[in-house]
Amino acid sequence: MTWLVRLKLAALVLTTVVLQTTLFPDLRLFGVAPDLVLVATIAVASRVGPETGAVYGFASGLVIDLFLQTPLGLSALSFAVVAYGIGILHTGLSRTPRFIAAMLGGAGGLAGGLIFVVLAALAGEDQVIAFRTIWVLVLAAVYDALLAVPMFPVARWAVGSTGAETPAIRGARST
Amino acid sequence: MVVYRRGNRRSVLILLFVTSITLITLDVRGSGPITGARGVAHDVVAPIATVADKVFSPVGDWVGGVTRAGTLKDENSRLRKELDELRGKAAQNRAFESENEELSKLLDLPYTEDSDAIAARVVSGSPGNFEWTVQIDRGTSDGVAEGMAVVTGAGLVGRIVEASGDRATALLLRDPKSGVAVVTESARTTGVAQGRTGESTLRLDFVDPTANVDEGELVFTSGRDNSRFPPSIPVARVEKVAKKRGELQQDIVLAPLVDLDSLEFVKVLRSPTAAPTEPATGEDAPTP
Repeated sequence: MTWLVRLKLAALVLTTVVLQTTLFPDLRLFGVAPDLVLVATIAVASRVGPETGAVYGFASGLVIDLFLQTPLGLSALSFAVVAYGIGILHTGLSRTPRFIAAMLGGAGGLAGGLIFVVLAALAGEDQVIAFRTIWVLVLAAVYDALLAVPMFPVARWAVGSTGAETPAIRGARST
Repeated sequence: MVVYRRGNRRSVLILLFVTSITLITLDVRGSGPITGARGVAHDVVAPIATVADKVFSPVGDWVGGVTRAGTLKDENSRLRKELDELRGKAAQNRAFESENEELSKLLDLPYTEDSDAIAARVVSGSPGNFEWTVQIDRGTSDGVAEGMAVVTGAGLVGRIVEASGDRATALLLRDPKSGVAVVTESARTTGVAQGRTGESTLRLDFVDPTANVDEGELVFTSGRDNSRFPPSIPVARVEKVAKKRGELQQDIVLAPLVDLDSLEFVKVLRSPTAAPTEPATGEDAPTP
């Protein structure tokens, strides 16, 4: 991975964190905000594979954790695990299905939310243990799925052709 | 074909896992450097966030206006009616104000209006779905510090939980981590107004089961013992009281007096009382 790609990925982390902390608190649907930083992590992980994706997810999660009142490291671990899973899943795909961005965005958003809630509950954050949490996770996942559509091209721009491309991407490129 | 080494894969994930768990443990135990890191992050992002906020606030306002259009019309007419009533009461209160001030001086009581207040603008809400906070455009350089009470003209909003140079984060009353020692208007019964997950209302805990609490009455900060809030700040209105026979606790629901969903400007109170050393029963634990 070149320095230019690293620089672009750092810029992507900063941009998504700024958007998440300034714009998206006001763009809640039924009181639920999407997780743009997680969506970017999913998009990047689908391009660069599990290891680099997990490192990106950890870094971006750590930065957004600095702006949350929940313990530092919760989002970092959740995002790293999701990125790792998305990286493995996408690596195993022999062809890219239609709506892959929305599908991965929704599934990754739901998984990331679930992992975050479980970890938060284990860390003593009792406020996540509520019936409303199910509603929040599902709605946020739908929102994440929609945001993934424009986010995947951004990740493609950031990573370029230097990322560890998965067979699915190679297949899509060659067709 | 891309070949991933399984051992390398695992070692990366294990390393990230161990680092995360260490960070979580340190933060839960209240590590100083982590609190400092949060402050630095806020300060670094603050200039960019200020520009972004100016650019995006019209978008947020528009979306807010569209999604709340129905309720805004009703709210507008209700507020006009309330304004007329309040104008009349304000004139009447002027007379009481000077009398109250004189009496407070005589009794040497801490007086809320004596608090040195810092006006601030709410710049954003919480970026997450599991906490209810707002960020304000004033920080330690303006004299804002952790634990200070945040109010509007209508009453208590919450308290400062984090302050960096130019920004501060206030935990709202409705956050489940928020607990405020309060006293009821008529019976002067004490309790703790506690936030509830996903609810816009509060729950009144630790109330004497025999106490007479009526629907519609107000609750104020008690300011007693080592409470972190100055006394007599209006907090909420009693919305529902359910007293069941044989139960040791009353089920009391409170509606905050401040509309916590549409905060624009707030005041941070520098309490005239000394900083608390121990929390009142059930109230928020002080930040180390």
